[in-house]
Amino acid sequence: MRRTLSPRRNALLSSADLSWGAWALAAALFLFFVRILAPDLFFRAAEPLFKSADALSERSKAFFSSFGDAGRLALENEALLLENAALRLENEAAEKNIRARAALGAQGNGIVASVVARPPESPYDALLLSRGAEDGVSVGMRVFALSSGGAREEEKRGGVPVGTISSVTDRFSRALLFSAPGVSTYGWIGTENIPVTLLGQGGGAMRATLPRSVPVSVGDVVYAPGPEALPLGRVARIDEDASSPSLTLHVASLANLFSATWVMLRDLGGAPAPEPVTSQPARL
Amino acid sequence: MISRMLTLASFVSAVFFPWPLTAVLALAAARAEPLVPLAAGIFADTLYYAPSSGGLPLFALGGAAATFGALFLRSRLRAATGGV
Repeated sequence: MRRTLSPRRNALLSSADLSWGAWALAAALFLFFVRILAPDLFFRAAEPLFKSADALSERSKAFFSSFGDAGRLALENEALLLENAALRLENEAAEKNIRARAALGAQGNGIVASVVARPPESPYDALLLSRGAEDGVSVGMRVFALSSGGAREEEKRGGVPVGTISSVTDRFSRALLFSAPGVSTYGWIGTENIPVTLLGQGGGAMRATLPRSVPVSVGDVVYAPGPEALPLGRVARIDEDASSPSLTLHVASLANLFSATWVMLRDLGGAPAPEPVTSQPARL
Repeated sequence: MISRMLTLASFVSAVFFPWPLTAVLALAAARAEPLVPLAAGIFADTLYYAPSSGGLPLFALGGAAATFGALFLRSRLRAATGGV
């Protein structure tokens, strides 16, 4: 019996037209080339998508958290209402301060930028920021996390360092976090200022290896290099193997990178920048 | 119809939902449209990949692997069924 190949079985062609998969691939490649050739235009168009994804994420968290024990939720709700009233006032004052500084652009203290995309939306541990070369942003500037409400001790001292600017376009910039896979950052740890090299592990986590004889414990603060002794993380866990002469420290950032909405960019001059494992020309 | 919905859903998911859901949708669409995982991977890396990080574009590479696997399976199935 003669068998004929149905054009519908072809991965590229469906009937007389391209298949949906081929169209999808063509669209993806088109967007890819737009990003390469006109990154500003691309991210300006993508910014509303990222913001709406943020909003959806927040609402879904609120929705799923409602499926808990009713009595416990009622008690929590009452306590949260009281706390909310106090925090709202503090939040409004802080937001007003941040917007005023953002509107003024470059400041003596730094440049305030809003976060367009962040982990986990940006799984490569990088932040896409809404400030670029037109606002005075340059490669190598240090990125400090800000929160819109409440000021912990670290933020009162100028923020928690979370990364450095790795690439800049006219209106956007990308910050490579210290926790990005393959990035190594030099710092020191604890009250004895023990020098340490932090290796990014992704997902906001960093790792370091020290000799077993070094006095370090869980909770020790890790400081970033630079003219200011700003803490960037704490030792969250120590792994030790009796057969190994070294300890593995797992360091967690002091800032919640998954909820960062504003950051401060500052030029620290000669502060050493984190190094990626492979050097590539900087592209946004 | 379903394959078209899954193709669109995988692209929408790349923006609004975590990557595991995008991967599941793309793999589900790969049965009828083997190019969808590659397209979704390139789209996700276009949105999120940072070349300055020194890492590899994992979504595009994963999508390429899934597309290759889908095309290979498709060719084996066609050979097994005689092209019907």
